[in-house]
Amino acid sequence: MRKKNKALAHLQEWLEHGDNALEVEMEEELEEELPPEAPEEDHLEREEKEDPRLNTPKKLEKHPAFERWYRVAAVVVCLLLVGILLFAAVHMPNFGQADTLVDSELSAFYVEHTLEETGAVNIITGIILDYRGFDTLGESHVLFIGVCTVLLLLSIKGEKDQERRIWEDAYDRNFEPRHDEILQTCARILTPLTLVFGIYIILNGHLSPGGGFSGGAVLGAGLILYQNAFGYQKIERFFTFRTFKAVSVMSLLLYSCAKGYHFFTGANHLESGISPGVAGNIFSAGLLLPLNFVVGCVVACTMYALYTMFRKGDF
Amino acid sequence: MEALNVILLVFILVCAIAVGRAKSLLSSVIIFMSQGLAMSIVWIMLRSPDLAITEAAVGAGISSLLMFVTLKKIHAIKEEGSPEEDAEEE
Amino acid sequence: MLEYIRFGIFAVLLLAGLLVEVTAVLGVSRFRYSLNRIHAAGMGDTMGLLLIALAAIVYLGLNAVTVKIIFIVGFFWLTGPVSGHLIGRLVSETDEHFDAEAKLWKR
Repeated sequence: MRKKNKALAHLQEWLEHGDNALEVEMEEELEEELPPEAPEEDHLEREEKEDPRLNTPKKLEKHPAFERWYRVAAVVVCLLLVGILLFAAVHMPNFGQADTLVDSELSAFYVEHTLEETGAVNIITGIILDYRGFDTLGESHVLFIGVCTVLLLLSIKGEKDQERRIWEDAYDRNFEPRHDEILQTCARILTPLTLVFGIYIILNGHLSPGGGFSGGAVLGAGLILYQNAFGYQKIERFFTFRTFKAVSVMSLLLYSCAKGYHFFTGANHLESGISPGVAGNIFSAGLLLPLNFVVGCVVACTMYALYTMFRKGDF
Repeated sequence: MEALNVILLVFILVCAIAVGRAKSLLSSVIIFMSQGLAMSIVWIMLRSPDLAITEAAVGAGISSLLMFVTLKKIHAIKEEGSPEEDAEEE
Repeated sequence: MLEYIRFGIFAVLLLAGLLVEVTAVLGVSRFRYSLNRIHAAGMGDTMGLLLIALAAIVYLGLNAVTVKIIFIVGFFWLTGPVSGHLIGRLVSETDEHFDAEAKLWKR
């Protein structure tokens, strides 16, 4: 009992001073005090009384039996899941086997018909933006929703966050050299190259490896490089929150309209009125080029917006 | 080619284990980054350059950048006696 | 005969590049202070990459790939030293035991 009081005193001290060493010491003492054969219920009750830091829900503490079973059940469910997945993995076809039954028909269909039906030399772009365009539409919206969530969580616009705003502005570039001339010279050469490379990847998406997602990521990286080298004032001349809103919303709208038209005309490349063009030309493959461009815009905006929100909490 | 494949896969495995076991958050982010780079080479060897470009740009570049910024936000990377600490205490 | 000379040049360049890279890796893992490590790492980024790229050019001959390799070398020569410089500056600004490893000249 005296030991218990001692622990309580330690706890008091810890709450007042917040010393880490004291906490460790106290925990050690608590462990010492608890005999190994102590019944589970007693232990739980004691913790409830003693440790105000413990914020476990009251329900669990009141039903120790439930908690014990909960733990056992969690382990059993995890093991079951692992077992099922392993069982499924055993029955999967061998890697790289040519005559797998799973979807050889579908892949053969894609390999044979993509070029002729969509006009895309790069079959992958043909599949992800045409046959499975609805998936890609969902992915772009997921990116947009992600940015919206980050805006909700991290945005510091508003009256009551003024203090934090000032703090963020003052310590934003704490570890980074401001106006580093070497970095700025390098960025002056590299940023245009990166942006042009990103645009090349996007626009050549239906001809060579790449497409909206990878090109957009490269574009976003270029924007982040420019921002890091020159600071917010320079980049806000051409990329602000208004730009982000306009570009990403317009892109998503365009994508939705294009997909809607596609579905409206039967989604089967029949009478859409857009000819696939000569395969291999830059203006070919019907809707794939604008769709790639749109996806690239969304991804680039998302990358830059995420970075800015994480960094400053503001545009 | 086979040997390179095996080496890369073993490297990815070792990285994946080391991410969890690294002592500081900063080093685990850096290990995660190198795992992404090795992964992109594996994608190239599996003949899917599309994925390789995306993995190199997103996995090794932007996601680790976001993690660095987050670490800075939550003060996992901290300078001793910096004005940040004083601001926190106030 | 010419093939043998070409192969010889290729082998010499590749081995030299590998030697530089191994030295860089050894330096990164063996040196104690961060600035020394940056120094070692920068060597592999520039000299080692150049030698290996030259070996690749000699092996593949002059064609479209050569241009890409030259672009890669140029890109690395732009970015590698700059990142080394930034890391060095960061170390000199944030490391509290910096005086133990180097002396900083203040202008």
